[in-house]
Amino acid sequence: MEIIEEKQGDINIFKLNGRLDSNTSQGFEQKLFQAISDGSKTMVVDFKDLDYISSAGLRVILKATKAIKREDGRIMLCSMQDYVKEVFEIAGFDSFLPIVANMDDAIKSF
Amino acid sequence: MVQKKYSFELKSNLSELDNLCMHLEKFGQKTGLSKKLIFEVNLVLDELFTNIISYGFDDGCEHTIKVTMTPDNEGLCLCIEDDGRPFNPVEFETTDLSCSIDECKIGGLGIHIIRKLMDDIFYERCKDKNIVKLKKYHTKSKC
Repeated sequence: MEIIEEKQGDINIFKLNGRLDSNTSQGFEQKLFQAISDGSKTMVVDFKDLDYISSAGLRVILKATKAIKREDGRIMLCSMQDYVKEVFEIAGFDSFLPIVANMDDAIKSF
Repeated sequence: MVQKKYSFELKSNLSELDNLCMHLEKFGQKTGLSKKLIFEVNLVLDELFTNIISYGFDDGCEHTIKVTMTPDNEGLCLCIEDDGRPFNPVEFETTDLSCSIDECKIGGLGIHIIRKLMDDIFYERCKDKNIVKLKKYHTKSKC
């Protein structure tokens, strides 16, 4: 999986390309936690080009969301493909993780 | 209807998840099953495979995990077999997942997903092997 990191002002953006599974999730976790320890309080994960996610990916996102919340920060999740969104729904994560339709909505929320 | 089994093997390494994906794509092309179903089957097998790799072995050796997929009149049968430690996903207790972000614990999330996506799950331990069989029916209503 490819991870493209961008910044819009203070907002850290992670664009995912490919598949987030137990093999690729560790690398993504490292990047998220590096940003949090560097002091990031506003992050967006862009799922537009993510074709697949498993529980390992959900776990990383949950951990990072809890960690940034402890620092009074927030992660927004945007642009999920249908099947990927369904995995969040099956897990029940859509009830408490901030999932929005697109990047504009994510940026506006901060 | 002739039962066509599609079988393959994976090594006990998480990098094999790419192989799993490739096999599912080929299977999808051969059978014409929907992209959604192939996605769900990939996810179920991924979760089982990941659990096997994560918890099944402690000897540092390479093991083989066998996967068989059989479409039939009723739907799709999956079978995954490994020679790791005994582990029964049917009886594994998953935590309550309907919770807030602060309460949420995620043990058993993979198994929760498998149970939601598949209609039947069977487990047996046979000759030092874990054999998990799963079934997904074509229609939502089960007999």
